[in-house]
This record gives sequence, structure tokens and C-alpha cells, in this order.
Amino acid sequence: MSAPSLDSGKALTSKVIPTIEGVTTVDAAAHLTPADAVGNVLASARWPESSVDAAGGDTVAPVAGFVVSLFNPLVAEVAERCLRAYYGQPPAARGERTAIVLASVNGDVTSADVVAAAVAAGVRVQPLLFFQSNPNAVLGHVAARWGLAGPVVCTSPTGDPTADAAACAELLFAAGDADAALLITADIAGDTGDRAEAVLVGARERS
Amino acid sequence: MTESARPVYLSGVAARTAFGDHAGLVAGAFAGEPAFAPVTRFSTVGRRTEHAATLPGSPDLVDELVGVIERACPGPRASVPLLLAAHADAGSRALAREVSARTGVAGVSRVYTGACVAATSAVADAATMISTGRADRVLVAAGYLVEPSTFALFDAGRALSRDGRLRPFSLGRQGMLLGDGVAAVLLEAHSTTPLARLAGWSRSGDAYHVCKPKPDGTGLARAITGAADRAGVSISDIDYVNANGTGTTFNDEAEVAALTLVGLDRTPVSSTKSVHGHALEASGLVELVTTVLASGEGVLPVNANYLGADPTCALDLVVEPRRARMGYALTVNAAFGGANTALLLEAA
Repeated sequence: MSAPSLDSGKALTSKVIPTIEGVTTVDAAAHLTPADAVGNVLASARWPESSVDAAGGDTVAPVAGFVVSLFNPLVAEVAERCLRAYYGQPPAARGERTAIVLASVNGDVTSADVVAAAVAAGVRVQPLLFFQSNPNAVLGHVAARWGLAGPVVCTSPTGDPTADAAACAELLFAAGDADAALLITADIAGDTGDRAEAVLVGARERS
Repeated sequence: MTESARPVYLSGVAARTAFGDHAGLVAGAFAGEPAFAPVTRFSTVGRRTEHAATLPGSPDLVDELVGVIERACPGPRASVPLLLAAHADAGSRALAREVSARTGVAGVSRVYTGACVAATSAVADAATMISTGRADRVLVAAGYLVEPSTFALFDAGRALSRDGRLRPFSLGRQGMLLGDGVAAVLLEAHSTTPLARLAGWSRSGDAYHVCKPKPDGTGLARAITGAADRAGVSISDIDYVNANGTGTTFNDEAEVAALTLVGLDRTPVSSTKSVHGHALEASGLVELVTTVLASGEGVLPVNANYLGADPTCALDLVVEPRRARMGYALTVNAAFGGANTALLLEAA
């Protein structure tokens, strides 16, 4: 399958962006949707797909080497769905100029709790948990599978995660470090339950 | 760059490590005297090593971050946004809120959590904000204090050196050791007394593996050439490289491959992790501060704990104190997920 061009996307619906008390967001793009902030939205995917699926109808494929927690498989799942929707099969066209940005408010709290419990109990930590000890690791899985060799950025945003990921992508585009970016937001066991979303965006053409 | 670029100056820096403040850090780095000692902050019973480079007692991360921010930017901060870097966990928002409130900065958009390139990624974003006119002044601060969970994780991953020394690029290297690191830098578009100019910066990915670097070094090499291209300087103009140099077999060899690929294998290189340890999310900022101060002093930091040449690491390593003019100095970092950063400094 030939990959579509990077300028054929559509805009997402605008969202109300919540902020948290006591922390002011400062980027000019921090309250923008991906389309507002960086240009073309090429594809998107989410987990669960719908409220019906949230009750157990949607599945997450396991990722080899990642254990204990849903967080990393969830990130890989939405990335896979989004990239497959646009490119079909790996590798991604122009992957060498495609960045990955992961914005997660709390990160992999399940793995962190498991490690803390093991330390408190004085027992050894599972060696595999070392490899998933930071959010970069699963992005390495996505990058290797799809040939995405642009910058890899992980954040814990103080405002809306989607807007923050878009703001990060906008800075990467402004710096000339990437022409496209896969924006992933994921959090587990939060107020809204487990959820993740991926949006593939391309930089605006600059005159 | 696709937009008209403004200069980016580093006009304030501060760091805290096991050496105390950054004056102690630079003295230790220049002399090549490591700060590793048995950890007293928590029990290391059952671990493969007991060593790390830690500040005395049990310092508080917020207190330490506030301290370095106040030193790097002592004046009014109400109009200065802050980019933070720290370990990813459920406390990130609370950390941002508390540091923001106590320092009076303009706001904190996010905490960068991307492991060993978290802080340098924040610096790259800050530089882009300034160079493109999005901001006139930006603070970047990062902190990691050695704690039992990460120590246990790295021990379980057999990443820690068992002989109590971190020996980057050396024969007999056994791995890394953790170290406390808290640092802050102030970047500005206009400065009458800059410490250095951030002439170039770039980021790249390996697209290779969950945690191993790409052995041929091509990913990191792209970040280095990207930084040099942005600065408009030739690789041969670079006088010193502060390497990522974690002291692990795979990482060091991949980094040597990258440096060789771009033509930096005959340029003086050292990894100051050999004295202050690996401060994870904060490591890149500690190393940037060290490089800025070394550049100002005209002294190359030492690649400490060196036991002899490893044929897979053929570099011009700074194994003894050496004076040299550093017109341009490069600091590179690499992380899990194949994330790479390169920051290129021009002396003031």
C-alpha cells in the first residue's frame, strides 16, 4: 500500500481544556487542539473505542517484554491503531522525520506501585520491570516497529494532555527536528478510567 | 530552522550533586575525583552494589529545585516560564505546583519525563521558544535524588557497577552508578553577561529497540550533526565533547560509533558521570552546567576511574586534568527508547 501524503488530514473537534489550580500553562499552543497547534491531523485512534467498549468489549494486545501493567500495552495499542489507519503496514513513510510524543499525567502508576511494594517487602524486583521503568521504553518498541526515527519526547503535562502533546510537536516542527509526529496520551486508573488516544499530525507548510 | 532565529544565551546556571554546589562539582570534575560511596539514605542489603554519589542526609527534591532555580535566576521570575524535568510518577503535577508557587515563575506547562534526555529535551524546547520569539527568557530545572525504587530497578536490570566505580569507555567497565543531581539554567534572548551561547541543539531517535542504543550510532550521529548544522559550525570546530558515557558496554560502544561517524573520535571527550554519577532525568542538565563552567575556566573535565584503553572505545579521552580553550563544546545524551539529544555551546 502506498502511504498517503502528509497534507491530506482533517481537523479534530475542539475541546474544552481543563487546567489545574495553582499551575499556569504558558505555551501559546497549550490550549489548542492538535489541528489548531500544528496543522494537519492525518489519523487518530483511541482506546477504548466507545463507552460500550469501555465495559470490556475492547481489547489490548500484549507487548513482549512488558509485564504487570496495562500502561505500556495501551500506549502501543493506540499507536498501532493510528499508524495502521494511515499507513496500513509498517514501516511508515518518511518515518525518519516522524517524532513520537507521549503525554501522561501519572505515567505507569501500576509498575511504580509494584516496584515500591517489592522494595518495602524486601524482595527482589522483577528484572523486566527495569526495562519499562520509564515511559521512553514502549516508545522504542513503537519506533522500531514502524521505523519512526524522529525525536522521542515524554511529558507529564500540568494541563490537558492532548494540548500539551500538540504544543511539544509544534516546538519540534518549529525547531526543524521533525515533519510529522505521533501524539499519544495515556493514563491508567484515573478519574475517567484507563484511556489512551493517538493522533498522527503533519507540520503545516511554511511559506 | 524554518523561522528567523534569535540567539540563545545561557546567563545563569546552578547545580547540586554529591559534591555540594556547582563549584564543588567543577572542582571534582576537573580533578577526576569521584564522589561514590556506600549509600546511607536507605538499605542496600541484597543489592549487587551499595554505591552511589549522594548528598548528605535525605534532601527534599522541591527544596533542592527551588534552591538551584533561585541561584540560576535570582531576579524577578514572574515573567519567566519554567520547564521541569523529573522522574515520571503520579506526583509530577504536585511537584510542578509546589516549585511554581515557591519560585514565583510564570508557570509550568509540563514535567519532562523522558529518562536520560528529559532535561536536555526541555533545554531544546526552551531554546526553540527563545530562538523563534515565543519567549524572551525561559528557566529549565531538573532533579533526581537517589531513592530505593530506582536503585532496586537498576540493580535488578544488572545495570549497576559492582566495583563501586563508573568507568566510561574504560577497559573493565562494569556499568553505571546512580547519583544525586539537581540543576537549573536560565536561557535568554538578550544578555549582557552571558556564560555561554547555546549555538545548536537537536534531537533524534534510533527506531531500534526498547532500551538498547542502535549499535552503529547513526541515531545519535544525526542529533550531533543537526546541532552543528543549526549552529553553522563544522564538526572540526568542536573542541570538547561531554559524553553520555554511562559505563555500560552497549551504550559506550554505540556512543563511540556515533562520535566516530561524525568525526569526533579525535576530539577530547569525557563523561563526567564518572565523578557525579547518573542523575537520570537530570543528568543532561548537570552535564550542561558542568560543560558551561568548564568552558569558562578553560579546563577539560576528567573521564575518571579509567583503567586502560578498550579497543572498542577508541577516543581521545581526557584521563588527566587538561587545559584547553573551548570555543565550541558539545554535550550529548541518549536514553531508553532510542532518544538522543545534542547541545552545542559557544564560549562567551
